[in-house]
Amino acid sequence: MLIKIKLNKLFFLYILLIITNSIIASNCNAVEPEEFLKDPKQELRARNISQNVRCLICQNQSIDESSAPLAKDLRIIIRNKITEGSTDEEVYKFLTDRYGDFILLNPPFKTSTILLWILPFIFFLIAIVVLYWHNKNSKKNN
Amino acid sequence: MRKFFFISPIIVFLCIIFIFFYLLIIKNDPSELPSVLINKNAPKFETLSLLSKKKFLYEKEFNNDLKIVNFFASWCVPCSAEHKYIDQLSKEKGIKVIGINYKDDPKKALQWLDNLGNPYSDVAIDSDGDIAINWGVYGIPETFIVNYNNIIQYRLAGPITKKNYDTFYKQIIKNK
Repeated sequence: MLIKIKLNKLFFLYILLIITNSIIASNCNAVEPEEFLKDPKQELRARNISQNVRCLICQNQSIDESSAPLAKDLRIIIRNKITEGSTDEEVYKFLTDRYGDFILLNPPFKTSTILLWILPFIFFLIAIVVLYWHNKNSKKNN
Repeated sequence: MRKFFFISPIIVFLCIIFIFFYLLIIKNDPSELPSVLINKNAPKFETLSLLSKKKFLYEKEFNNDLKIVNFFASWCVPCSAEHKYIDQLSKEKGIKVIGINYKDDPKKALQWLDNLGNPYSDVAIDSDGDIAINWGVYGIPETFIVNYNNIIQYRLAGPITKKNYDTFYKQIIKNK
């Protein structure tokens, strides 16, 4: 009985830990206050772009989340470009011209990446065909 | 037939694992990124020279020789480790080694060159890392091979080591 209660308590603590952790983590951004742009609209655009740009040092983080020095430099460059009047497309082009498509967290849809995007659908179709064919055959056997 | 039907997913799965293992671990290192600047013009820049304290003469440095452009800093440990290879290359005929001093204290950088020797024909100061970003650099040391026409031919991310020196050297010979 005693052990059971202890285990329950431990479990409760464990859950609490996970919840608090995830709350803290979701509020965790690497953007520093002095980087913010005065115009909230421009700042929002900058935040949106940086969330789609990969940090090349941590690779699975966006530059919005990363505290690597290169990520900070890129955030500042993005903000400078925006204040200079560049459109979002121009900012993305600036980045991909230098670092390639890999810098985008979402791979773009083009001829070199078409397999990446359509393969899941092809597999899905194959699965349907195979299942249909298998079903039909097993019915025949019965 | 039925047996095949049950086994086939396992076979396909194993094949996929093998392909991934081959491409991601044996053939390439996925953390090593290909440069998009290969076969493109070396990006131009305007800055000061660490050695002369005057303007870095881009046109003079990026002339008709074969150039090795090395991004380095005194605070970067692997840079010190690869320095002997850079030194070795700079002594060869027809190779010009240009240094780009990335986010460094000029005093410390000069001290570093004093200690280890200076293989560079000139060193450009990149105090805020802008030149590096224009060259698509994501972590120093990085070394580029730029041909007589100022076209980037090869990029090595990370230090030159005993292991990769031969491959790197072959790339130089190819573009000489």
